[in-house]
Amino acid sequence: MSTRLAYVASDPALLAVAESVAADWERVGARGHLLARNIDTGEEFGFDADTLVPLASVIKVAIALAVLDRTAAGTLDPAYQVTISPGTRSLGPTGLGAFRYPATLAVGDLVHQMLTVSDNAAGDTLLDLVGIDEVNRSLRAWNCPGIRIRHRLHRYYECAAGAAGNDFGIALGLAIQDDRSGSHTIEILDTAHANVGSATALVDLLQRVWLDQISQPSATAELRRIMALQVFTQRLSSDLRTDTVRVSGKTGTFLHLRHEIGVVETDSDDRIVIAALTRSTRRASIAADIDLAIGAAARSAFEALRR
Amino acid sequence: MDLLAHLAAYVTVCEERNFSRAAERLGIAQPLLSRRIKTLEQHFGGELFDRTRRQIETSNLGVLLLPHAKDVLSRAEHLRDLARSARETAVRAIGVPPDCEPAALARVIRAGAEHGIVVSIQELPADVRAARLDDGSLAFAVLRLPPETAPLGVPLGLASAETLATTARGRPVHLEDLRPRRGADHGPRPAVLISPEDAPFAADRLRKAAARAGLPEDRIRTTSSTATALAETLAGNGMLLCTEQFARRHQVSWVPLADATLHRGYELAAAPSRHGAGVPPDWLATLLAAALGTTTRAASNAPAAGHTDDARAQLAARG
Repeated sequence: MSTRLAYVASDPALLAVAESVAADWERVGARGHLLARNIDTGEEFGFDADTLVPLASVIKVAIALAVLDRTAAGTLDPAYQVTISPGTRSLGPTGLGAFRYPATLAVGDLVHQMLTVSDNAAGDTLLDLVGIDEVNRSLRAWNCPGIRIRHRLHRYYECAAGAAGNDFGIALGLAIQDDRSGSHTIEILDTAHANVGSATALVDLLQRVWLDQISQPSATAELRRIMALQVFTQRLSSDLRTDTVRVSGKTGTFLHLRHEIGVVETDSDDRIVIAALTRSTRRASIAADIDLAIGAAARSAFEALRR
Repeated sequence: MDLLAHLAAYVTVCEERNFSRAAERLGIAQPLLSRRIKTLEQHFGGELFDRTRRQIETSNLGVLLLPHAKDVLSRAEHLRDLARSARETAVRAIGVPPDCEPAALARVIRAGAEHGIVVSIQELPADVRAARLDDGSLAFAVLRLPPETAPLGVPLGLASAETLATTARGRPVHLEDLRPRRGADHGPRPAVLISPEDAPFAADRLRKAAARAGLPEDRIRTTSSTATALAETLAGNGMLLCTEQFARRHQVSWVPLADATLHRGYELAAAPSRHGAGVPPDWLATLLAAALGTTTRAASNAPAAGHTDDARAQLAARG
């Protein structure tokens, strides 16, 4: 925590906002990476935004765009049906990842499951259809050098359980301790082996999705539509949502990591894109105050950057 | 050469930085003191003091050897104490935690006299109580155990300058109660202060429990002395984790902590004798239990580890 943060800010007032967010996060025992940008004015602020971070479920946005790119191009049928069985599926707390009986879903709805409830089984089914190399090839073709996928989503469980034998407390303790020492027992927390991205890369990606400057307009429109339907509201949107302010986002949570990226849109046509990537030393699965601190950061960013 | 007397001369000169003051403190003549230092220097093969300046300075060798010389002297003293207490077998030293009720300890001493034993009560930190019981310098000691397995339990609670809201309803305080309310202004939150008696046992447990209850772990702070922790509590900067009788004695409001796994656990143990482990007499156990402020119960609510799919999913990437 003693290392100085690298701040970015379009003007001194925004720098003050960035500093107060960093102080707020430190108060609840979290630190991390933030970038918030007004899509239309280009004004932005944040800190440590270029550091590569293990993304957890935030990577599902990249998987979704790769899948939607292929359905838009006609090389993958969105109505193509896949059966997912409990014995072979990836594990997760929600959706197909938690289902106890086989279920058959179409590709288009798997994308919906993956993004709205962060369904790991849906995510890995899609990833297996497209291929990890293909997703990376698309990210390169789209010029998104700051985002990289290296493993399936089930790997999060395998690595944590492999290191800690199904004990969440031990896995969490290891993750926190390894952050201090810098050598990672849980492989997918090592940025050299992780699904990684930086706050800047993720903000750039969402900005281009919202401006139809990536893939194809029908793909980006579908990604925007589904991201607006995410059910998790405890984090980025916790202090923002009204009938006039909408948040489209994707959370990422794994052990001590609490992330969310998203776009805030208003009836007054303001569009603010935010990436908040945090890690903490808290030995708890649920830390409502850290989630709320991310929400408070989003609220501050939105109010500082909207016109 | 009487090595101990010579070392005492050397250590005293180091402390006084003056031969005549050191001689006075030791109650010997200064020429004798000087002779002892010289003999010791010959023994070690080097000068212990630099005598070229007006003020006596300890030489490099003198500085290097000083802590070791002190160590030898303190061990020798401990040995003498041990021999004395073994000689005066009627005196039984009892090691107790630092914040016992004085009136109750007085009852222990009086009851000892009735049983023909001279009792010497020693307030000591937990690790020292255990060590001195092992080496035989304590006859009995109150040892710290995890509250789940301990025969004696002492409830801990939070002492605070202002009465906690839960006391009004007469219920114990849960760690979740200490979370700031959503929408409340973000003033400083008083830390939970842990005294040295509880730190080695309770600090990590309490930090883990606090994290699970939604509190930042740095809300839990260990302190270097119970007195400063109490001072911070009285000043309104913290809430001291302590027993009810301690809080009452210092006239601060106190609420018990609901989670019994965070309370104190003790057992009364006797020094090992030739016949194996000794057994403390019942009268002593009863009176000490009162002095500690115990309730006789063993808490046991260890959470069952779940290995269902749902529990495993906690380790997967979530939301």
